[in-house]
Amino acid sequence: MPPGNEYAAEQLKAQGNACFKNGDYEGAEGYYSQAIQKNSSNPLLFTNRAMARNKLEKWEGVIDDCIRSIEQLPENMKAFHLLSQAQLAVNHPNEALSSALKAYEYCTKSTQQTTFSNAALISQHVLKCKKRKWEIRERERIRRRGDLLSDLEEMLERDHKKDLDDVDARMESGSTSRTEGHEEKEERRLEFEKKRDDLRTAFAISDPDHQQKREVPDYLVDGITFEIMHDPVVTNNGRSYERATLIEHLKRSPTDPLTREPLKISELRPNLALKEACQEFIESNSGWIYDCEDGEVDSDSRWAHLSHV
Amino acid sequence: MFASRRLGKELTKMQGQLPPGITLVEADNLENWLLDIQVLDANPIYAGETYRLKFTFSQNYPIEAPEVVFVKDDTHSIPWHPHIYTNGIICLDLLDRSGWSPVHNVESVCVSLQSMLTSNTRKERPEGDENFVRYNTQRPRDINFVFHDNKV
Repeated sequence: MPPGNEYAAEQLKAQGNACFKNGDYEGAEGYYSQAIQKNSSNPLLFTNRAMARNKLEKWEGVIDDCIRSIEQLPENMKAFHLLSQAQLAVNHPNEALSSALKAYEYCTKSTQQTTFSNAALISQHVLKCKKRKWEIRERERIRRRGDLLSDLEEMLERDHKKDLDDVDARMESGSTSRTEGHEEKEERRLEFEKKRDDLRTAFAISDPDHQQKREVPDYLVDGITFEIMHDPVVTNNGRSYERATLIEHLKRSPTDPLTREPLKISELRPNLALKEACQEFIESNSGWIYDCEDGEVDSDSRWAHLSHV
Repeated sequence: MFASRRLGKELTKMQGQLPPGITLVEADNLENWLLDIQVLDANPIYAGETYRLKFTFSQNYPIEAPEVVFVKDDTHSIPWHPHIYTNGIICLDLLDRSGWSPVHNVESVCVSLQSMLTSNTRKERPEGDENFVRYNTQRPRDINFVFHDNKV
């Protein structure tokens, strides 16, 4: 590298950061790209560009940047988190899940407080990946049965896709702002999921032999987020909570949520048996969740190596 | 950051079943909900009345407490209680920053308020009610109540 390039790259990065802060993600992407041309051995430049591309929803670009960043800096929480989001966006939930678990691992290993507040976000993202995996399997299962339910689900999906395309078109033409568009899409998605779940429930009720509604038992559910746990920790009184959310609470108020007795973060212990139970529930539940079959792993080779990192 | 999913789950559960005397009135969004509560025993102060509660949730619910106040309108009054001000603001440790716990939920808050009313025998307002109602400009969650009286 010619002398001075490293300095030039830093200058460009600072300009990129300024753009990013102002919401000018295209501008930021441009500056980060120039910085990378000057100095391609700084992993942070790649994660920064990935963040800009994430905002622009350029998923393929995010994936490339994250992989290059991870090549240079393997224990890279941020890159794995961004990678996972992009992988989920392009519908590769298996890869997304393994990236998310990496991000979580590096995040909890870290002793920095600021890094730790990401844990709750990543935990939620892990669940999202798991859920998407179920959904894909479930759709497959229903499709194989080829009955009225699958026809109806397809109709709902088509409607939902039309709604999303409509929002996209309006965002493209500028008549709806990006933030509004995203909010609307999120709303549409929740509506769609609600309708689909109602539909499935209705069918399950009418045909109890073939389908049972999947309900997570209370002992696997975190009392704070009401979601199934993925990294449960146990407190002095024997109650378990999701690690990330309980720590969010303890940072504000160092007390046991149930008894209000003093409780320090250092007193928490992982509840491995419960963790296994949650995992097993997700994997082996026969109701709405269809068992993962061999060979289901997406065949895209670009990030296949990451599962062995 | 957890609020929307958690509230979605609470809503589904509440649409299924609620304890007697608690009714979900309006939950069109994940910021403000309205619930009605009634005191079901024979306490003469509250017999036959329905009170309306307004819940306001922050992005950080349930790590942060919801803001809960009684609402006054044509058909709903503010219940008499030595810890409830005329403007509907409630002084209850459960709703205060130091007394809140994320294992509480909308339903459990309603139940606590029901029992707070049930056990009350004094048809009174808090000390300094008039001044507080006239001069208070703070939001309920920013007020530092002093919990000097734990008997009520």
